[in-house]
Amino acid sequence: MIVFGFLKVLLGNVAKGPATEPFPLGPATTPARFRGKVHMDPALCVGCAICRHVCVGNAIHISERADGSGYDWVLWHNTCALCGLCQHYCPTGAISMSNDWHNAHLQAEKDEWCESRFVPYLVCERCGAHIRPLPTSVAGRLYADNHVDVARILRLCPQCRQIETALHEGVRHDDQRVA
Amino acid sequence: MNRTTEKTYALPIGPVHVALEEPMYYKIELDGEIVRGVELTAGHVHRGMEALALRRNLFQNIVLTERVCSLCSNSHPYTYCMSVENLADIAVPPRAQCLRVVAEEIKRISSHLFNVGVMAHVIGYNSLFMHMMQQREIMQDVKETLYGNRMNLSANCIGGVTHDLEAEAFAFLLDGLARLEPEVARALDIYRTDRMVVARTRSVGVLSREDALALAVVGPVARGSGLATDIRRDAPYGAYVGLDVDVVVEQGGDVQSRALVRLREIQASIDLLRACVRAMPAGPTLAVLPEIPAGQAIARSEAPRGELIYYLRTDGSQTPNRLKWRVPSYMNWDALGIMLRNAKVSDIPLIVNSIDPCISCTER
Ligand code: SF4
Ligand code: SF4
Repeated sequence: MIVFGFLKVLLGNVAKGPATEPFPLGPATTPARFRGKVHMDPALCVGCAICRHVCVGNAIHISERADGSGYDWVLWHNTCALCGLCQHYCPTGAISMSNDWHNAHLQAEKDEWCESRFVPYLVCERCGAHIRPLPTSVAGRLYADNHVDVARILRLCPQCRQIETALHEGVRHDDQRVA
Repeated sequence: MNRTTEKTYALPIGPVHVALEEPMYYKIELDGEIVRGVELTAGHVHRGMEALALRRNLFQNIVLTERVCSLCSNSHPYTYCMSVENLADIAVPPRAQCLRVVAEEIKRISSHLFNVGVMAHVIGYNSLFMHMMQQREIMQDVKETLYGNRMNLSANCIGGVTHDLEAEAFAFLLDGLARLEPEVARALDIYRTDRMVVARTRSVGVLSREDALALAVVGPVARGSGLATDIRRDAPYGAYVGLDVDVVVEQGGDVQSRALVRLREIQASIDLLRACVRAMPAGPTLAVLPEIPAGQAIARSEAPRGELIYYLRTDGSQTPNRLKWRVPSYMNWDALGIMLRNAKVSDIPLIVNSIDPCISCTER
C-alpha cells in the first residue's frame, strides 16, 4: 500500500522486459555521429598542424623524416579525449571520427596503439625540391577562379608554381581575356 | 563550529561515499544522533585546472573546461567560449546561439534526473532510483545520437558550435522528449505524494528563505527556498534573450522542495527545447574569428546547479593570462551548515545530495 502509485510503474517496467542491450551476445546500437577512435586520411593531409595546435591532450605528433621523404602523423589513442576538435578544425577534412568504441587492449600494446600515417612529400617536376602534397580537392578550391592546369601545378613546388602561374597569367593578360 | 563538549562527540563522515562517489570530508559534531555542528574539509580532488588552463591555448581550453565536471560539462565550455566572445566582440550567429541552448537544456535535464534519481537511492528506494535512471537513458541516447557522446557533447567552440543538427536529429530529440514528458509528470506525482518519499524528505534539511538570501545560494537550492533567481531570466545571454524562461520556485526549503524544483525544471526545459526547435533560425553556425586582443572579460550562465561565472584575461597571445571560474556548488556548500543543524545522522547523505554538490567543480 505504501508505494501503490509506484507499484503501477514497477509492474509496467516488468511487463516491458529488460531495458539493457544484449551486448556482447547481441549488437550494441552505435549512432552514426558517435565520436569513436580518430582516423586520418593521408591523401587529404597538407601538414598544416592545426589538429596538433587545438589538441588539448597533445595526442597528435607530426615529425618530418630525416631523409626529407615526408612526415609521420601519429595520434596516440590513449591520450585522445575524443573531443573531435581536430576533426572540426582540420581544413581539408582529413580527420574523421569512427564508430569504433572498442578501446580495450593489452598493456603491452599501449605504445603502438596509435593512428599512425606517413604522408610522403612529392618531388617538384621542375626543380626537384621536396614539396608538401596538396590534395586535389583543396587545390580545386584554391584555384577555382584561375584558369590554370591544376594537375600540373600540384606537381610543382610553391616557387615553380609561382613562376608557372605568372607566365600563364602573363599570356592571358596579353590575350585580353581577363575580365 | 566544532565545539566538542562532554555531551557531544565527533563523527567523521567521508571523504568517500557520502551519497555520491565524490570525496568530501565532513567532521560532524553529534549529540546522540542529532547533528550539532559540521565542518567540511575539501581538496581531495584538486587537479590544478586553473593552472593547466594557463598552459593551454584558447582552443585547447574549450576541451579542458568541458572536463571540469561531467554533469554540467556543457555549461563550462559554453560559458568559457562566451567569455572569449565577450572579450573579442565576436557576434555568434543566431543558429549557433539556438543550438547552444539546445545542448545546454538537454544537459540540464540529464543532470536533474540524475540528482533526483540518486535521492531515491539514498532513501533506500532503489526501484525508484533504477526507474529514474532508466528515464534518464532517454536523454543519454539523445546526447549520444545528436552529439556522439553520452556526457561530453563537444558542442561549443569559440564563435559558435562544432556541429549542426539536421531535421532528423531534431525529430529524434522531439521523440525522446515526448517519451520523457509523461514519465516526468508521473515522477513529480511520486516525489510529491509517495508516503515513503514524503516521510524521508519533507521538512528535512530546511533552508529558510532568509538564510538562502543571506548565504547567496544559487540554482535549485535557492529556488527550493522560494528565491526566484535564474541567470537565464535575470541576465539573459545568447538565445535565452528571446526565450521565455519559466523560473520554477518551491517554498518549502527542504529536501523535497529542491527535488520538486528539479523535476519541474525538467518540464520547463522540455518546453524550452521545443521552442528552440520550432524557432530554429537558419544560417551559419560559426562566426569568423578575429585576433583575440589583450583584455579581460567575464561571462555568466545558469548551469544545472546555478550561476556559473568565468573570468578571462588575455595578453594578446593565444594562451590566457588568467582563467578563473566560480562554480555554483561553491556558493551552496555553506548552506549545509544550516541544513544539517539538528538533523539526524541518517539524513546526512540525503541532505548533502539535496544541494546536488559538484565536488569536481568546486575543487577542479
Ligand atoms: S590532419 Fe588536417 S589539420 Fe592535421 S595536419 Fe593534416 S590537414 Fe592539417
Ligand atoms: S579528438 Fe581531441 S583529443 Fe583526440 S586527437 Fe583530436 S583534438 Fe586531440
